[in-house]
Amino acid sequence: MIKQIREYAALPGGFGIIVGVSMFLSISILGFARPLLIPYAPDELIGDGLAAPSWDHPFGLDQLGRDVLSRTLAAVPADIGVAFLGVSIPLFIGTVIGILLAFAKNRVFLSLVGSIIDGINAFPLLIIAIAMVTFLGPGLFNVVIVLALMNWARYARIARTRATIVLRENYVEAARLMGYPRRRIIFKHVTPNVSSETLAYALSDFILVIVIISGLSFLGLGARPPAAEWGSMIADGRVFLGEAWWITVFPGIALCWSAISISLIVEGLSRRDRAN
Amino acid sequence: MTKVLAEIRDLRIDVRVTRRLRLRIVDTASLVINKGQLLGLIGESGSGKTMLCRALVGTLNRRGAYIQSGSIDFEGIDLVNASKKDWRSIRGHKIGYIPQSALAGPNPVMRIGAQLAEAVTQRGRKSKDEVRRRSLELLELVQIRRPEVVLKQYPYELSGGMKQRVMIACAIAQNPKLIVADEPTTGLDVTVQAEIMELLSKIRKEFDTSIILVSHDLQLINSICDDIVVMHAGATIEKLPSLKVTSALHPYTHALYDSRIDLVEPRGKLRTIKGQPPSVGKWPTGCRFADRCDFVKDVCRSTDPAPFMQVDDSQWSACIRHKEIYGGAK
Amino acid sequence: MKLKPTSPLARKIFGRTIRAFSISFWVMVIAFALMRVTPGDPASARLGAGAEEEAIEALREQLGLNVNPFQQFFNYLGDLSRGDLGTSLVSGISVGEIIFNSFPLTLTYIAFSFLFAFLISVPIGVLIGWSNKASWVYSFRTFTSIVIATPNFFIAMVAILFFSVQRDWAPVFGYEPGFPGNMRYLWLPIAINTLILLSIISRVLLASVIDTRSEEFVETGIIRGVSRIRFFWFYILKPSLAPTIVLMSYMMGTMLGATVILETIFSLPGIGRELVSAVLASDYPVVQGTLIFFGVITVFLSFFGDLFAYLLDRRVKL
Repeated sequence: MIKQIREYAALPGGFGIIVGVSMFLSISILGFARPLLIPYAPDELIGDGLAAPSWDHPFGLDQLGRDVLSRTLAAVPADIGVAFLGVSIPLFIGTVIGILLAFAKNRVFLSLVGSIIDGINAFPLLIIAIAMVTFLGPGLFNVVIVLALMNWARYARIARTRATIVLRENYVEAARLMGYPRRRIIFKHVTPNVSSETLAYALSDFILVIVIISGLSFLGLGARPPAAEWGSMIADGRVFLGEAWWITVFPGIALCWSAISISLIVEGLSRRDRAN
Repeated sequence: MTKVLAEIRDLRIDVRVTRRLRLRIVDTASLVINKGQLLGLIGESGSGKTMLCRALVGTLNRRGAYIQSGSIDFEGIDLVNASKKDWRSIRGHKIGYIPQSALAGPNPVMRIGAQLAEAVTQRGRKSKDEVRRRSLELLELVQIRRPEVVLKQYPYELSGGMKQRVMIACAIAQNPKLIVADEPTTGLDVTVQAEIMELLSKIRKEFDTSIILVSHDLQLINSICDDIVVMHAGATIEKLPSLKVTSALHPYTHALYDSRIDLVEPRGKLRTIKGQPPSVGKWPTGCRFADRCDFVKDVCRSTDPAPFMQVDDSQWSACIRHKEIYGGAK
Repeated sequence: MKLKPTSPLARKIFGRTIRAFSISFWVMVIAFALMRVTPGDPASARLGAGAEEEAIEALREQLGLNVNPFQQFFNYLGDLSRGDLGTSLVSGISVGEIIFNSFPLTLTYIAFSFLFAFLISVPIGVLIGWSNKASWVYSFRTFTSIVIATPNFFIAMVAILFFSVQRDWAPVFGYEPGFPGNMRYLWLPIAINTLILLSIISRVLLASVIDTRSEEFVETGIIRGVSRIRFFWFYILKPSLAPTIVLMSYMMGTMLGATVILETIFSLPGIGRELVSAVLASDYPVVQGTLIFFGVITVFLSFFGDLFAYLLDRRVKL
């Protein structure tokens, strides 16, 4: 097993991917296993607020006396879990729509839909998310809805561009001429090809979505107190920056850790791509 | 007055693949080009012909390659150890370069006129009118119609053939002594290919320029070159006048000649050379054509390196058994 | 360069302009739809749960929500064509005026960030990209990917901790208009933005320079003996700029989004903060108007970016 990992690491980009995956897995596992690992509950009021990091509380206590380590780990399902939803749903919807669009023949229709998709994409995602909160109200669930509603368009654009290219490829032409059932074979060729691109985008998007979730919560528009979420924790700690830096810094590091881990995976994959 | 323009002797080129790995890509290549000579350089992919040209124009280090040993003499200048000053006097002025047509060609972000002006003003300043006049003159020389229009255009507006003509115009701008043309017609239509070849021939005649024409197409080279140098697996293995290609003194040259497409009769078999050229880094000792040769004997593999020998004043061969096989030059 | 009315370039530009306008149209439609499609009623959200029926109805009438959707849409388009984006429910000031008052500040510090980021990216991207040293490229890419992966508000927090709290080099928040007083408040946000932007821009430039370096025409340029300065611009930089320009115009839109957070942190009275306050107060017209503004600006910035890139480098697909 170790040997296989070593071999994989020697491939171009392999090292980055392994580091990234380990980083991501470690924080995810720690987060989901928190009830078993940390004796303190994330919303348990333990002692006096603003206690500095100590052996009992490696990340210190926040302004209400809650254990910051416990809260930081408790935020994993919120940040990473919700981010996962916020990426996979648009990924699925967008890819399907994009592929379907590639089959459309009507030029006017295509131009129309294309403009609409570009219109949706014109809004910076964070802006749209903030605006939508006006209408839907705060809360992580609503954030997922917003993302599902608006983010699919970016995937659709990528999927459609790629699918139209694939459909013009020689091997698809050949398959068609050989009389293969259109649906089947085209799904076997088009879908994997398109998915590889949309999945690659999804990975980078993951980072963006984590930032949006935590950013919204930071502004008070996402997760609502007393829910544990990195963005809102960072916001909480803002006022106490001088006296109790740990309230802000540790959730921030966790946030960076997650984002960097994905970033390393993306880097490693693109290095693999370039080497081939 | 010697008629030799440039001479490459026993050149060895290595390339730095990674920090630890170095590969030899050219091994004992020798070549002489005379003034006003049209020399063809032929070989399969990976034979080292392009690298040899890069050594001649001094762009080896861009690809992490360097000259390990051997000499290159150009008009008395030692190109292996040439200083920046030497190169400045050579570049754009004494040596011209025509790149492979299939890969870009002219700079895509500059207008044709700007690029020609660049080529024309390499040495000293010229007035705008003079530059324009000379640019138009060059475009007419390469048979481009409506040169005034072309001057203002970008490369993407031109056809492949026109782009190559522009490259030729830039190469001859300063009347260089030597032009290196690296597969200048690859990817062009056959008719355009013929026109470009005509053009090169004409340039050689009118300006007495030496031209090294690199190709993998023996027919093409045979049609206009005076002499041919054949390369295989990093080494020059034969040099002969193109007229004598049927009486070559190396099995590889014969095999190349015999595998020409136009020799195939309808429903006939296409003759190929068996096997593949050995990959860089995996060259066998002795003659590197041994595994593909019909006349191979043990001595071929044991003589290392296979020496490039002068047979008479116009023919060289690296086949140590050429006397036995072909009975000497004719 | 003469633009004849039917030259292929003019036709392309014309086509793209039409497309930009049509996308903007859909931007407005989407902004409209978003407000209406969601559950909940804008008026009651604004007035709060305990408001009286009459007050809610009055507000609905004021917002034009009492007519059927098609009529609403028609009114909406009509208003927009007159440049009327609505009026703030909080302050009564027209949305247009709010934008007009707050956008210049945002534009200022974004523009400075872009400028500095670009100026720093060029030497870095060219130096590292042209050097062909794999180790430099690797370390550079690693460093920048860390910066990019870090959320901007965290960088801001750390920066504030370092510069404002522990040292008094920058005020923690606030703003004072008028040059040069405002620089005291703006330098840190600009520095943060510049750091993030230059990480993104220089990476793209780096990749582009590496691609350019392996092109055949560069080899030809060397052999032709082109002078150093010319070579730098025409053979290294210019052929590599196109993807960077396209990216920059796209990033402008994203950056506008990110300003929301930065302006909240630093309490800068820019358009981002206006949006957040409007959202918190359920001030629908301001939210909708600002949305439209952001969307349309992104569309046109993108368009001009693509156009500029095309003028620089004809290989760009317009």
